[in-house]
Amino acid sequence: MVNGKFNSDVVIGLEIHFQPNLKSKLFCSCATKAETKKNENSKDEPNTRTCVICLGMPGSKPMLNKKALDYGLKLGLALNCSIALELIFSRKSYFYPDLAKNYQISQFELPLGKNGEIVLSSGKKIGIERIHLEEDPASLVHPNTIHDSAYTLIDYNRSGICLIELVTKPEMRSPEEAREFLKKLRTILQYLEIFDEQTGVIKADANISIKESGYVRSEVKNITGFKEIERALLYEVERQKQAMQNNEKLVMDTRGWNALTGKTTRLRTKETEADYGYIIDPDLVPIDITQEMIEKTKRGLPELPDEKIKRFITKHKLSPIDAQVLAMERVLAELFEKVAEEIDPILAAQWLRHELVKVANYHKLALDQLRIEELEIVELLSMVEKKEISDRTAQQILSLLTEKGFSPRQYVKEHKLTIVSDTKELEELCKKAIAESQPAIDDYKAGKEIALNNVVGKVMKYTKGTADAAKVKDMLKKMLR
Amino acid sequence: MIVNKELIKKVAATAKLELTEQELEEFIPQFEEILKTFSKLAKADTKNVLPSFHPVPLKNRMRDDTIHSSLSQEQALSLTEHKKDGYFKGPKVV
Amino acid sequence: MNINTTQQQLEKINEEYHYFNKLCNVQTKKTGKLKDYVISVKDALCVKDVETKGGSAILEGYKPLFNATVIEKLLAEGATIIGKTSQDAFGFGTFSTNVGNNMQIPLNPFDKNHSTGGSSGGAAGFTQLAKKKGIKHIALGESTGGSIAAPASFCGVYGLTPTYSLVSRYGLLDYANSLDKIGPIAASVKELAMCLSIIAGHDEKDATSSKTSIPDYEKGLSKPIKGMKIAVIKECFGKGIDPAIKQNILETIETLKKQGATIEEISLPTTTEYALEAYYILAMCEASTNLAKYCGIRYGRHEKLEGNFNQYFSKVRSHGFNKEEKRRILLGTFARMSGYRDAYYIKAAKVRTLIIQEYKKAFEKYDILISPTMPMVAPTFDEIKRLTPLQHYMVDLMTVGPSLAGLPHISCPTGFKDNMPIGTMFIADHFQEEKLLQIASSIEELNHG
Repeated sequence: MVNGKFNSDVVIGLEIHFQPNLKSKLFCSCATKAETKKNENSKDEPNTRTCVICLGMPGSKPMLNKKALDYGLKLGLALNCSIALELIFSRKSYFYPDLAKNYQISQFELPLGKNGEIVLSSGKKIGIERIHLEEDPASLVHPNTIHDSAYTLIDYNRSGICLIELVTKPEMRSPEEAREFLKKLRTILQYLEIFDEQTGVIKADANISIKESGYVRSEVKNITGFKEIERALLYEVERQKQAMQNNEKLVMDTRGWNALTGKTTRLRTKETEADYGYIIDPDLVPIDITQEMIEKTKRGLPELPDEKIKRFITKHKLSPIDAQVLAMERVLAELFEKVAEEIDPILAAQWLRHELVKVANYHKLALDQLRIEELEIVELLSMVEKKEISDRTAQQILSLLTEKGFSPRQYVKEHKLTIVSDTKELEELCKKAIAESQPAIDDYKAGKEIALNNVVGKVMKYTKGTADAAKVKDMLKKMLR
Repeated sequence: MIVNKELIKKVAATAKLELTEQELEEFIPQFEEILKTFSKLAKADTKNVLPSFHPVPLKNRMRDDTIHSSLSQEQALSLTEHKKDGYFKGPKVV
Repeated sequence: MNINTTQQQLEKINEEYHYFNKLCNVQTKKTGKLKDYVISVKDALCVKDVETKGGSAILEGYKPLFNATVIEKLLAEGATIIGKTSQDAFGFGTFSTNVGNNMQIPLNPFDKNHSTGGSSGGAAGFTQLAKKKGIKHIALGESTGGSIAAPASFCGVYGLTPTYSLVSRYGLLDYANSLDKIGPIAASVKELAMCLSIIAGHDEKDATSSKTSIPDYEKGLSKPIKGMKIAVIKECFGKGIDPAIKQNILETIETLKKQGATIEEISLPTTTEYALEAYYILAMCEASTNLAKYCGIRYGRHEKLEGNFNQYFSKVRSHGFNKEEKRRILLGTFARMSGYRDAYYIKAAKVRTLIIQEYKKAFEKYDILISPTMPMVAPTFDEIKRLTPLQHYMVDLMTVGPSLAGLPHISCPTGFKDNMPIGTMFIADHFQEEKLLQIASSIEELNHG
């Protein structure tokens, strides 16, 4: 990177690898995941999902998994990449104990997709330099630490699993922008259904530099998971700034991220670029990517978040922020669309983006792990909409619904949770509350508005929370006038 | 094309070969002669010529995303002397 | 052991001539076209549970977990596989003198002081000897740049190199994947045709395997060659060719004329000028990546596990590879390094296009091209020692052209010089093996007539 090319305070570029959710490996028919039998935890014994191809046995030959191309094409088109006319693989040669052949089958000259983009909510575009397919190396286990082991243990179960690599242009100017970029990417992967967040691995290498150093770049390798990527970026920017303040000289280096300590550490200073001696892999043949394939893939793409946001705003009249929050979680967006057919969309949006997310957080579950039955939610929210139950009642029922299924209407009936809307009954209860709250009433009358909440609370208590708090407050105010 | 010890040593390091002094001395004039001959290709007019990576046109060979049974752990490890607890043993990385 | 030879007989032959790196006795079925045949296979082909080294010490002890597709096909026809024939390590040679460390060089069946040719030297040598001893045998060889034609020529037998992609490479130890071809070596053309009919055909395990339909190659053998258009490659009679070989080819041409073939001369200037260089660059580039996997972890030669991976890999590879393996790995690594890659690797691939086009144009007009197989008869081991590596590579002048272009070619014995056989090579267009067998068959008739 030429110094002076940038003018922002921080420059970040990402190289992201993820394992798309394929059943078999990229060039052989070994399973990508351990088989899970019923009532059994998945066991993954080392070297049980290998064959002569992914072990690099002499004489074996690779054969491409067609679905890997389908997935790569989907992502390329979703990110507005220009797509190569042919899919061609190269051998990237370097020696390392995790490589079965001491070369990795990857793409070099002609990546599957080039020049794509992801648009942030600010409207800023982050360029995607390229996306391509390649094979994952084996996993290494270091019996002690990486430095004091006499040997490494090698498990080839991962060897040959498909990776999709995505390289951004160095166009992110803060860890926050990087976070938003990753969030958007994650959402797109959700929509395309090509990545399983529960079992798939996503990793990033990040290039980070700051203005103060003249953009001396550090590369942080092998950060696993969306959250860790952001943590590592935040740490690294801070580290570089601190170093400059301490008058240290920054040099180009390659660093590792330690999730336990939350720090990056230097692995090596950058010498010359490694020479991978790329050649076209002569065991594989070019795959035509026809206009027809591209059109067909395009037609098969789901509506993507950006389009969804627009439609939520125009069709359902949501605020941009509500539309954004819902569209960014596929589960929420899809639920919203169904619920909004029956319920006021704005009410539905509020409930889903705030209350449902709250419930998920409370249970410490991802939204797609949550038990959600759209009919139950519609039934529940229609009672809210008609003010038949209070918000608090609805919140409690919503939480219960994520644990087991039942009819919210039935539940409300059985537990007598219908809102107390009989004015006469409410007036009686208000009178009772006023009589029991003399000190608060005095305060209120002395101009302390807030003291009235105390009295409202009492009424709510008498009604087991079924009364409409706003209505109670109005009633009290009138009575005290 | 200047072929010297440094160049051959650099290439050998990339290819993970350790050459004896004798091999190095022997390879220098041989490589010089061979590379000089190879360089003859520069004279061939290849303007607007696309490279061929296979001699006959071959295209579009793929397989479906289906699983076949893998080797057993024992089979996978049957050809190595270096193994432990179901793993291959390899040299340390640093 | 099969009806027509015994283990002791083979052991005795091997002690004397070094044709096998490993003897074995594998038969899974007693019926089929090959039930009466013993088959030897070049060491580079994987035979399940039988040590397969490709002639290299780096693969000491490697017993494949699977059969090559061609082996499966032969076994399905009742063949008995009798052993892995000796070769230059990974096919790196023209004389079978570059055998792996601690291995033995096969000796010419006509004179033990002479080379069998390479790299399928053991295959061709044993084919000639089996013929002399009346053993019904076919050899499977492999050619990257002429390794079937060359030894067939030096040992006076027939060798057919099929069109690239006609025979599955699954289970073949790679030398250069865009050039490697498996093919038969036999004492008769009929046996070549029979074997090719069995081993040719699409294989879904090899992405470079053709889907072309396979004819019955034996059927066309008796077709007369009258009207066939043949061209002699003019440049093959330039300097460096043995005059006795030139004389022999001219005689062969005369007999073909008498049978009604039309003979003309053709010039292939681009191929003559650049094929050797383009071939060696591409072959070495591919080979250097193929040989990277040999590093003493999963199979083959192991060493005591110590040091870091750089040290360990270097130790295993430096001990396991012979000088020619090292030479080609280094040259191949160099030719694809950034800074040199465009001038060597990419340039060679472009020149390859020109060469393919030159041949394709020739085949618009002709059915068959003729040249000597080798510019010399089998040299003595002393003569070979005096060659520099470059001179060694130059011997492949005639065979690298068709190899680069993936063209099928056949070497036929057409005479002798000082008791050593001479071979004539016929080259046909892609997938025109029938024409080659047809012309070879007419040559064979003359030899016996």
